[in-house]
Amino acid sequence: MDIQSYILSGKLELFVLGELTERERDEVVATAKLYPKIQEELDQIEEAMFNFDNLSGAAPSGMVRSKIFDSLEKDFVSQPQDKTISPSPIQEAQTPVVALNPWKNYTVAASLVALLAIGAAIFYANKYSTVEGQFSALVQQNIQLAEDLQTNHVKTESLDTQMNQLLSGNFERVFMKGEGLPMQGNARVDVFWDRSSQEVLLSVNTLAALDSENDYQLWAIGADGPVGIGIVNPNDKLSLQAMENAGDTAAFAITIEPKGGSLQPNLEKLVVLGEV
Amino acid sequence: MPFLKTNLLEEQEIIAGLIARDRKTVEYVYAKYSKALFGVISRIITDKDIAEEVFHDAFIKITRKIDSYDERKGRLYTWMSNICRNSSIDKTRSKEFSEKRKTNTIDDYVYGLESQSDTADVVDGIGVRELMDTLNEEQKFIVNCIYFKGYTHSEVSEEFDIPLGTVKSRIRAAINALKKKVDKI
Repeated sequence: MDIQSYILSGKLELFVLGELTERERDEVVATAKLYPKIQEELDQIEEAMFNFDNLSGAAPSGMVRSKIFDSLEKDFVSQPQDKTISPSPIQEAQTPVVALNPWKNYTVAASLVALLAIGAAIFYANKYSTVEGQFSALVQQNIQLAEDLQTNHVKTESLDTQMNQLLSGNFERVFMKGEGLPMQGNARVDVFWDRSSQEVLLSVNTLAALDSENDYQLWAIGADGPVGIGIVNPNDKLSLQAMENAGDTAAFAITIEPKGGSLQPNLEKLVVLGEV
Repeated sequence: MPFLKTNLLEEQEIIAGLIARDRKTVEYVYAKYSKALFGVISRIITDKDIAEEVFHDAFIKITRKIDSYDERKGRLYTWMSNICRNSSIDKTRSKEFSEKRKTNTIDDYVYGLESQSDTADVVDGIGVRELMDTLNEEQKFIVNCIYFKGYTHSEVSEEFDIPLGTVKSRIRAAINALKKKVDKI
């Protein structure tokens, strides 16, 4: 490339005057980078332009300067503030560290306490509810136990009485069986009879349940024929049921009678029979 | 005074400062370049008030458009002076301005400077006259058109029927002559 004719073409001057197209400008920049002589020429032209402008011009008035800096003031806003005021916020920030932080700490502490309190309240509320549930269950259980105890106490007393009766009296045990009878082959009821005091006790061993319209009736069969001495509760098993007294008796029997019992036994419904 | 060469590094700092919107940098740029830049404008625009108005707007544009500057636009001063030159040309071509037709000639300009009371300007004005005296008539004409009236080289070529290549070489010759003269001052 002919460097000299490139310089003489006047392209560099037009570059400095800003009269080249974008493409031409790129070319000048690239060429100047490639050839130091062209770069030097370009530098000289730019320098000459500045010197000429600087020498030939009159300075703008002070008015323009202040107007320009007034207009630019908002552009600078962030800068001078950062530089001049920045040291003071640091100092200010250090002093309040003492004054502000305790309050911060108190606030944090208070918040923590409040949170803990809320947590504890919820915890104990839950616990209270649980315990209350357990307590009422226990109370219920206790009532149940007390009732059971009462029942057992009554039972024990009654058993005591029966035991005393059995031990103090002179009872004969009479076995009544359904074996060989048409009603209930496996039925078994025991009668305890004191000949001298004529007292009769009864213990159900096996006896079928009845419908609500019928009852089991105990008969003492003597020389005068059968005498009804009470209704038998088939569900009260293995305990002594006190019956009416019976005098001279050869055998005991139970029949099924209409509710409340009959004056004469219905022998067709003879359930058990036991001879003395 | 080869300030452009020695101050390449300084120029990078100035550009960085302008991009950072640093007040000190803008103050430095104003101190260093305002006279030359205002010279570019007031060569083209005679009316001092209008010239200062254009300078105000152009200088603010320079500080705000620094992001768009790159080496393809020349040195920092070249870019700044072209903003001022283009702003001035735009102004002379605006409707309000064209009615008055107030563009300069070399004589107007030098006369204008001499008539001002500021002695520093007068000294500079004498400098301009001296500078211009070194140019031949062809070169003076070109400088007058391009520097003082704000013509582009292709406009000169069209308006005065001078081949484009001739305009270019005359521009080169004129600037070369000024360059030599300036170096001597």
